[in-house]
Amino acid sequence: MLLVYILIVAATAVCAFQAIRANRMLVSAIWLAGTSALVALMIYLIGAPEVAVVELSVGAGLVTVLFVFAINIAGEETYTTPSRLPRPLAWGMVVLSVVLLGWFFLSRTAMPEAIAAPNLSLYEAIWQQRNLDILLQVALIFCGVLGAIGLLSEDKPIEEHPAEVKS
Amino acid sequence: MTLELWNVGLVTILVLLGVGFYGLLISRNLIKMVVALQILAKGAILAMVLAAKLQGWTVIGQSMALTVIVADTIVAVIAMAMAVQIRRHCGTLDVQSLSNLRR
Amino acid sequence: MSTALLLVLLAIGLPWLGALIVWWTGDQRPRLQHTIAVAFSAAAGVAAVFLLTQTSPDVVGYKELPIWGRAFGHITFVADGLGVFLAVIATVIGSLAVIFSIDYMKGEHQLGRYYAFVLFFIGAMVGLVLTNNILMMFFFWEITALCSYALISFHNDDPKAVAGGIKALIITQVGGVGLLVGALVSANVFGTFEISEFLANASMEVNPVPLTWMAFGCLAAAAAKSAQFPFQTWLPDAMEAPTPISALIHAATMVNAGVYLLARFYPAFEEVPYWTTAVVAVGAITALMAAVMALVANDLKRVLAYSTVSQLGYMVYAIGAGGVLASQFHLFSHSVFKALLFLGAGAVIHAAGTRDMRQMGGISKQMPLTRNVFIIGALALAGIPVLNGFWSKELVLETGLAHGPIWAYVIMLIGAGLTALYTFRCVTMVFFGEAHSEHHLHEAGPAMKTALIPLALGSLVTWLAFGPFSEMMKNTLPFHEIETEGTLEFVTKIVTDPYTMLTLFVVTLGLAAWCFRSKLGGLASALKFLGDAAQASFGFEWINRGIVSITQWCGETLRGTQTGLLNWNTAYIVGALVIVLAILLMGA
Repeated sequence: MLLVYILIVAATAVCAFQAIRANRMLVSAIWLAGTSALVALMIYLIGAPEVAVVELSVGAGLVTVLFVFAINIAGEETYTTPSRLPRPLAWGMVVLSVVLLGWFFLSRTAMPEAIAAPNLSLYEAIWQQRNLDILLQVALIFCGVLGAIGLLSEDKPIEEHPAEVKS
Repeated sequence: MTLELWNVGLVTILVLLGVGFYGLLISRNLIKMVVALQILAKGAILAMVLAAKLQGWTVIGQSMALTVIVADTIVAVIAMAMAVQIRRHCGTLDVQSLSNLRR
Repeated sequence: MSTALLLVLLAIGLPWLGALIVWWTGDQRPRLQHTIAVAFSAAAGVAAVFLLTQTSPDVVGYKELPIWGRAFGHITFVADGLGVFLAVIATVIGSLAVIFSIDYMKGEHQLGRYYAFVLFFIGAMVGLVLTNNILMMFFFWEITALCSYALISFHNDDPKAVAGGIKALIITQVGGVGLLVGALVSANVFGTFEISEFLANASMEVNPVPLTWMAFGCLAAAAAKSAQFPFQTWLPDAMEAPTPISALIHAATMVNAGVYLLARFYPAFEEVPYWTTAVVAVGAITALMAAVMALVANDLKRVLAYSTVSQLGYMVYAIGAGGVLASQFHLFSHSVFKALLFLGAGAVIHAAGTRDMRQMGGISKQMPLTRNVFIIGALALAGIPVLNGFWSKELVLETGLAHGPIWAYVIMLIGAGLTALYTFRCVTMVFFGEAHSEHHLHEAGPAMKTALIPLALGSLVTWLAFGPFSEMMKNTLPFHEIETEGTLEFVTKIVTDPYTMLTLFVVTLGLAAWCFRSKLGGLASALKFLGDAAQASFGFEWINRGIVSITQWCGETLRGTQTGLLNWNTAYIVGALVIVLAILLMGA
């Protein structure tokens, strides 16, 4: 079983890294979909199938479609020079933050006594315990719809001067 | 949950976070930065599910993870919409050229 | 919800709501804007006055708000005498200043911005004095500083106004750090943001070092806010503001916040070694220095600003001497007569079109009402009997003599004489003597009169409220030691006190010095060096200028970190994560 796990981790790492490294945006989006699918698998293995399903359909499905769509509208761009942020600094910060995070997690392996967890089903938890979250999600989805309208809106001719109010 | 799964999950989280940070730090393309942000968020979702499992508050953590997935998707939608509009108005997605627009 | 809580929330919320509505009304409808501003400030005033009937030492508010969390303490207020009477001053004088503005600001552009900030200020000031949470107090404190800045720089095409505003903002903000330190120490050491809990638990035996930090932090904050030594120079520069603002923010309310802070925390800090001496010293030095500066200034509003600084010095001195009641009573009188003086000066400036007193003179016939009310205010400031300034100043001096050091008393006595001297100089230069301007001046408009007359009446009679005032203070401040007295007893005590005669003699001396100034030419030229030094702010300007330029230099330098490059911004975020993790790991 450990071997399978290690394979999943390795595959996730490769997919994620390729998503960052790929020159073409479309390729990048596909690698992202792969990462998402592997994360969904991991979540399933941990024992949260509902979350895994949502992650797979939304993360790997919807978001990928969205990316492909947006890249088609916006077009590909490739750059010859790297970012102006010094590469060693970027590596250093990443390594430092990951090491510290890992250390932080491991230093907390002795988990506090599990507080008596309410015995709820996921359904009850979502609809009864976390109804503020639901409210928030509705608001977010509304924002998302507005965003999608923005994404789809055809470009108007750009006005050279902002409209002036004639008094 | 086995100890192996806990360790493996931890490594996955760290890898995802690390790659996400790296992508945010070195990408020049706005859409690429959103991809990096997505990878970061996946690490966060995984961490939430794992921690919930470990603590025993499984369902609460999972429902929160669902909220994060929704929020993250919306972030992607809006970021994409902004990227498309920026491309239309400024003709580029390069954050370096865009930073030259500042006054 | 208790009545007290409802009234507190109304007194804070109504002006803020009004600020939004005035803003949304738009500058195309100035009449509507005037009406809305007056309506909301008056409504807040009514709420605050009703709050007078609800004073009690009880803490009201929301202890357990689920979405608020514990990080910022509880949203609690305490409607005790100290807070409520300051809230009444803020809202009532606030509404009078707004009413005055109807005439004063007529025809100005961007009235929405003006009224929105005034109303925002009134609400924040009420919150500042009523809240029981020291962190919320800090927030309200900073909001008042922000509004003060925005209103000083209201004419933002005038470089002097902008510079004055920035200076006021930076100086009060730097002082505000002291209050923030106090809040954090309170949370860390005493485990609470609640002022009432802190006052109950703080003791010099248990936590001497943190208490000392808090005490001197609050003193710095108070000195910066109330324009005390060595931060006294921002207030005169703040006189670029429209005059109703000077009356409201820079005479009657915001500058009192420092005095309020010291009074509020006095029971906790009085045991801190050297603290009371430091407070007395700050008050005495400021009172004397500002009085000398007022004597040589030629700008009418600057004279009034220096006199405000000087009178605030009296209040700070009274607190240092243990007279919380005396300081608050003087604050009460001062708010009324100084708002009157400023608004009167505003009417004169509005008519004359200049602030230079040398250009004025001989206008007493043209503006009889303004002259009369201005003289009432001036006599109260000078400490002439029967007016409210006399009684409160006597109380301050008496407390200082009984409990404070004798050198400070002597300084304050000299200050009283100087106060009389510069007040008479100011009145004569503005209203009497030869006219320097040809054109005829118009008397104050109806709205101006509506604001001036109540204040003039107040200057005549507010001292009669001493009995109920002290009663209210005593009954609602459990941590302060306050001796209550009936008005009659108080009056008898002051009148029969031999030292009252001494003060009156000094005041008369000041008056005489002005009347016989031509005979004292030799003395005047001998003291010329003092006048020159005073005009140069005794050299303390450089401290303030230094603070301002250091702050601005830091801003300019830090601007380099804002590359506008998204990658760098994320780098800062990751860097912050690293730092937070490192702190957590070190703490673990």
